Amino acid sequence: MTAAVVAERLRVPICAALVLGTWQIVFLSGAVPEKYFPSILSIATAFWQMLADGSVLTAWAQTFGRALIGLVGAAVLGITLAILSDLSPVLSRGFRYVSDVLQPIPPAAFVPMAVFMLGLGAKLYAFVIILVTVWPPYLNGVAALSGVGAVQLNTGRMFGLSNWGLLWRIKLPAALPEIFTGIRYAATISLIAVIVSEMLAGRDGIGFMIFKKAFALRTPEVFGLMFLVGLNGVLLNGLVNLLRRAVTGWHLRMMERPE
Amino acid sequence: MPAILTADGVGKSYGSGSARMPIIEGLTLSIAKGEFVSLVGPSGCGKTTLLMCLSGLLAPSDGAVSFKGQVVDQPPIGLSVVFQDYSRSLLPWKTNLDNVLFGMRRVQGMDARAKRARAEEILAAVGLTGFTDHYPWQVSGGMQQRVAIARGIASQSELLLLDEPLAAVDAQTRADMQDLLLDVAQRFKQTCVLVTHDVEEAVYMANRVLVLGPRPTRVVREVVVDLPMPRDQLTTREAPGFLHARHEVLALIRGMRQGQKLS
Repeated sequence: MTAAVVAERLRVPICAALVLGTWQIVFLSGAVPEKYFPSILSIATAFWQMLADGSVLTAWAQTFGRALIGLVGAAVLGITLAILSDLSPVLSRGFRYVSDVLQPIPPAAFVPMAVFMLGLGAKLYAFVIILVTVWPPYLNGVAALSGVGAVQLNTGRMFGLSNWGLLWRIKLPAALPEIFTGIRYAATISLIAVIVSEMLAGRDGIGFMIFKKAFALRTPEVFGLMFLVGLNGVLLNGLVNLLRRAVTGWHLRMMERPE
Repeated sequence: MPAILTADGVGKSYGSGSARMPIIEGLTLSIAKGEFVSLVGPSGCGKTTLLMCLSGLLAPSDGAVSFKGQVVDQPPIGLSVVFQDYSRSLLPWKTNLDNVLFGMRRVQGMDARAKRARAEEILAAVGLTGFTDHYPWQVSGGMQQRVAIARGIASQSELLLLDEPLAAVDAQTRADMQDLLLDVAQRFKQTCVLVTHDVEEAVYMANRVLVLGPRPTRVVREVVVDLPMPRDQLTTREAPGFLHARHEVLALIRGMRQGQKLS
C-alpha cells in the first residue's frame, strides 16, 4: 500500500485527529480562559454524563423529530406550491412575490409573532420551521418544472399524455433531481430553525438545553450539545440521501458515469 | 395504394399583423401507404415546423392534415415521430425497455406480458438484444436513436415521421442506421416520411423525394427515385437512377440558395 492509499483509508481518523489536536493545542496554550474553552476530555466527560442520565437522548429525539417533521412538511408544501405555480402563471407570480419578501427573514424573527399567535408548542415549531424551510424545494421545483424540455413534452404528447399525464409522467420525474437538491439544502435550514425556536421559545429540546447550560456557564455541556447538533445534520442529510437514491438513483448514476 | 397521410393547403405562421411570420404556405402533399418519402429543402425552410404540423403536435394556421381519412388535431394513434434529439426524447429515468413500453401505453388488446414480449422483439430487430435493461445514457448515440425508433414502431405505428433522425450520429454509424431504418420500415410495415438536409440520404432512402421551397415553404418538386429495394450503400449510390435523382434535387436546392443570396 502506498502512502496515498493509507491516507485515503484513514481519512476520517486523520481529520478527527487534526481537529481534536488543534483544539487541544489552543486549550493548552491558555489563549482562551478554560471557563470558555474546555479541554476535549472535559467536554467528553460532560457529554457522557448527559447521556448517562438520559436527558440528552430525550432532547435529541425531540429536536430531531421536529426537524424531520418540519422538513417533510416543507418539502410537501414546497413541491405542491411549485406544481401550482407551474399550472398557473398568475399563482406563480403571486408566490414569487411572497417568497421574495419572506425568504430573507431569519427564523428568529418569526418566533416572537408566532408565540403571540400560536403559543408555545408544536404549532409554533411547525409554523417557524416550515416558513423558513419551504423555499429551497419550492424555488428549485419551479425552476426544474419550467425547465423540462420541449422534446420531452412533445414525446409525452405524441404518446397520448394529457396535461395531467405530462405533469406526473414527464415533468415531475424530470424535475425530481433538482427538487432533491433543494430538499438537501432545506434539511440544514430546518435544523437551524428548530434550534433557534427552541432557544427562544422552547421548553425542551437541544436548543433549549444549550440556552440553559450557556446561562449556567456549563461550557463543556454546551460544546457537547453543539457537537450533537452537528451530528443531527449529518444524520438528516443521510436520510435525505437515502430517499434521493431510492427515488432518483438513475440521476445520480447518470452523473457519476465515466465519459 | 390509398393515401395514409395528406396535407391540404397547409399554412403555418407565427405572430400576427406586421410581425406575422409565415413559415409554411399552401402546402399540399399526399403520402401513400407503404411509401418511403423524403422531404428536403434549403436550410431554415421550415421542415421541422412542417413535421410538427403533420404529426398533430402543432396546429396549422390554415388548411388541414388528415391521417387515414381523419383530420389530425392531436397526435393520432398509429403515427409516431422520431426526433433528431434522441437524448432528450428518451426518458432518462426509464430503461431502454421501459422507454419502448412507454411508447406502447395506448396499445390495446395486449396484457403486460405480451407488451413486454413485443417490446423485446422490436428491440432485438434494431439490434439491441442485451441492452434492454440499460438506461439510454449508458449506450451510444446510435443505440439511443435505435431505441427511439423501436419505441416509435412499438406504439402500433403505421407511419413514422423522422425528423433528421441521423443528423447527430457519426458518419459510419449513419450509413448502418440508414440500412437498419429501411430494413425495419419494411419488416414492420411502416410508411416513412423522412425530413433531412442531406440530399444523398434523402435519395438513398426514398421512393420519392419532395423538394421544399424556401420559406414560406411548400412542395416545389417531386422527384421519383426509380431504384429497387433493398438499397445497397455501394451499388445504389453508383446507379444512374441515384445519380440522376441526386443531381436534380441538388440543382434545385442550389438554385434556391442562390436566389436567397441575391434577394
